[in-house]
Amino acid sequence: MLSSAPAATGHRPGSPDRPRRAPLRKFLRRAVVLTTAAATLSGCAVANSGSTGDAGAADGATLRIVLTQEPPTLEPCESSLTSTGVVVRSNISEPLIERDPTSGALRPLLSTGWRQSSPTTWTFTTRPGVRFHDGRPFTAEDAAFSIDRAVNSDLACNVDGYVFEGRDLGARADDANTLTVTTAEPDPILPLRLSFVKIVPRGTSTAAKVREPVGTGPYSIADWQTGVSISLRRNDDYWGPRPAFPAARYVWRGESSVRAAMITKGEADIAAGLDPEDADADHSVAYPNNETTALRLDGREAPLDDIRVRTAIGLAIDRRGITDALLDGLAEPAAQLVPEGVVGFNPAMTAPPPDPEAARRLVAEAAADGVPVDRPITLIARNAQFPRVSETAEALQYQLNQVGLRVRIQLADTAEHLQYQLRPMPVDAGPVALLIMHGNQAGDAAFTTSQYLISDGPQSNFGTPELDERIARADGLSGRARQDAFAAIFAAERETVAQYAYLAHMRGLLGIAKSVRYEPNSATGDELRLAAVTPADGQVR
Amino acid sequence: MTTFLRKRIVSSAIPLVVVVLGVFCLARLTGSPVNLYLPLSATAEQRAEFAAEHGFDQPVLVQLWDYVLGALRLDFGESLRTGQGAGEMVLAAFPATLQLAAVTMLIAIAGAVLIGSLAAYRPNSPADRTASFLSMTAASIPDFWFAIMGVLVFGVSLALLPTSGVDGGAEVWVLPIATLLIRPFGVLVQVVRGAMVAALSAPYVKLARSKGAGERRVVFGHALRNATVPALTVAGDLTIGLVNGAVVVETIFGWPGIGKLMIDSILQRDFAVLQAAVLLTAVTIFALNILIDVCYALLDPRVRQTAPA
Repeated sequence: MLSSAPAATGHRPGSPDRPRRAPLRKFLRRAVVLTTAAATLSGCAVANSGSTGDAGAADGATLRIVLTQEPPTLEPCESSLTSTGVVVRSNISEPLIERDPTSGALRPLLSTGWRQSSPTTWTFTTRPGVRFHDGRPFTAEDAAFSIDRAVNSDLACNVDGYVFEGRDLGARADDANTLTVTTAEPDPILPLRLSFVKIVPRGTSTAAKVREPVGTGPYSIADWQTGVSISLRRNDDYWGPRPAFPAARYVWRGESSVRAAMITKGEADIAAGLDPEDADADHSVAYPNNETTALRLDGREAPLDDIRVRTAIGLAIDRRGITDALLDGLAEPAAQLVPEGVVGFNPAMTAPPPDPEAARRLVAEAAADGVPVDRPITLIARNAQFPRVSETAEALQYQLNQVGLRVRIQLADTAEHLQYQLRPMPVDAGPVALLIMHGNQAGDAAFTTSQYLISDGPQSNFGTPELDERIARADGLSGRARQDAFAAIFAAERETVAQYAYLAHMRGLLGIAKSVRYEPNSATGDELRLAAVTPADGQVR
Repeated sequence: MTTFLRKRIVSSAIPLVVVVLGVFCLARLTGSPVNLYLPLSATAEQRAEFAAEHGFDQPVLVQLWDYVLGALRLDFGESLRTGQGAGEMVLAAFPATLQLAAVTMLIAIAGAVLIGSLAAYRPNSPADRTASFLSMTAASIPDFWFAIMGVLVFGVSLALLPTSGVDGGAEVWVLPIATLLIRPFGVLVQVVRGAMVAALSAPYVKLARSKGAGERRVVFGHALRNATVPALTVAGDLTIGLVNGAVVVETIFGWPGIGKLMIDSILQRDFAVLQAAVLLTAVTIFALNILIDVCYALLDPRVRQTAPA
């Protein structure tokens, strides 16, 4: 009996345990081999040697910036898109003229001067001695080519829609340094519009947008590791002042707290778009970002088709309460769609304090006249449009319900929100109050009114023929007359149309490490000029 | 085994096809991407041209047919967002996720087998209670919260690890893997423990002990082999679920994987990339399912005989 004991423990060949042990071992062995192979084979795609982090070492020679998202393209004619523009504009590609974000004045860049020789003709002198990153000289022919490519081609560039509103331009080089641009109608702000056209060399594709462009800027593209980082190198042949940093490197993190942590930890020098809860006095700075939030009311649908109801919504909103409690004081109550600094801003318009009693009276009056004020209004807000957007929508819902209206909230992603934001808008959506955020980075009210206020504007629900005429007239004016005309339009819109219930002029938050100096301005969110950043010691590396 | 394999392939291929076709059709119900990609001023002609160029003007069935034909030729179209080949983008992102998933599961399985077995060996002992409590906690912690806490504690406060990123040595792996690991690890410890408790009290274990088998042999030679089957099944499901977890990890830590690519493609209505990503993921899950079934069948011959037709 004893002699059989060892066999009974499982060592005996042919025992029931034996056939199942080999597969288990085999499985474990295969699992280890497969896992190791997978990790090894794909290893080179992710893990490299060194431990400086994606943004690079804190060697003082590389300016390290962490963005909210990877730019889909660096195509210059798409630089009116925030994610593209923040890298491209004035770093890689430059325009003929640039707008000073603080004063609003136009300054020469690749053009040294310009004049209006007739109401529809402008002549520009281009800067001599400028070379593209590939060594080719910049001439007026390149400028004419770039304008034609961005505005007249079939590329469907965003700058064409957002800035030129589909107008075609004539652009020709009279000689190596003279450019003539013609418009179909007089356009007093053509130089401002052209500040959005980035210059590319002749020969750049006009059939497809380019992913990595050649420009004249102080930096050129050194390396783009898709999904990981974009590296720029200083252009040593740059025609202007030499930037302080020999290199710049962009990485992206979707989470604000991680971006803030990278600044605190010293892994990055500048972090874009921080949420208020991630800001601290040592590492972040607030700046006006020219964005304004408002409810756009669909005046085609009852009960929003009654101006008393629309006015009541404006009166019901506690703007200061929302900016203080939900936006951490990083916003100012708004009374119009553009902030101070934009041509056309009306300083006489102030945000009214909440007056729920007056709002209730207006709603009751409308109800007495048969307006169906109990019809539910859909308040549509966009996810992540600004910090605490959903809480803001809830506060608005509560305040509107308090004055006798019925509001339900619908949160949408960008694509869905765009369906309500842009024409053609859904026809069977019922009464919609769309929470919008409008940024006027161009600095002129025309870019706002042509989109949001004219009756058939791409982002407008309705309007009046009178207001449309006033906007068209104002668009042909310049100087003080232009300012006054647009300021009066904003006041008239609030009184006679009331398509918008304004909420707040927003502010952005930028994370800045102690290692660098940079003063953000109203354009920073869309155009972070690397040449304006210096090491803390002020020395050029 | 061949019959078993054939049946498994057929039954696993059905969900694969359903998922790929379902995502194709559902994506188109979410609206046209034209507004996202054309300027505000785009004319009706430009919109129509854009739609025609990308085939969005065709009936969904025609688009589906074109997609299937393209996929058979390994042509997945171009990304609307970046202009790059969709297949190329997906193949570039996939290894990063594969790495995370593979390493995570290896650690999860090894750790769970060890801790689950030790906990089961003395049920209700302090060690068992501690392991059970910690594993239940781990299985319940939201990965998003865990990731952010990891960044703040180990990245910022203790400065032991980088906050995020992929460029570096082993240290860049720690937080992403820990985040991805926490839930499968917690679940697996409980599964292994439960299976081991049952196995260790089974008659064959008592028989082995009565015949004088050593404790190590009883635990790892007898009980664990039988406890492996349920653990393996759960591990397979958890591995498949890692793609969901990868979205959080990749978004927070800047890991250039397929989870983040898929989410971006959904938000940007980048149909070609979304379809390519779903197809590759579905095929991988399909292969993984077959692999799990094969392992399962090798471990338990009864499975081979009861495979569904």
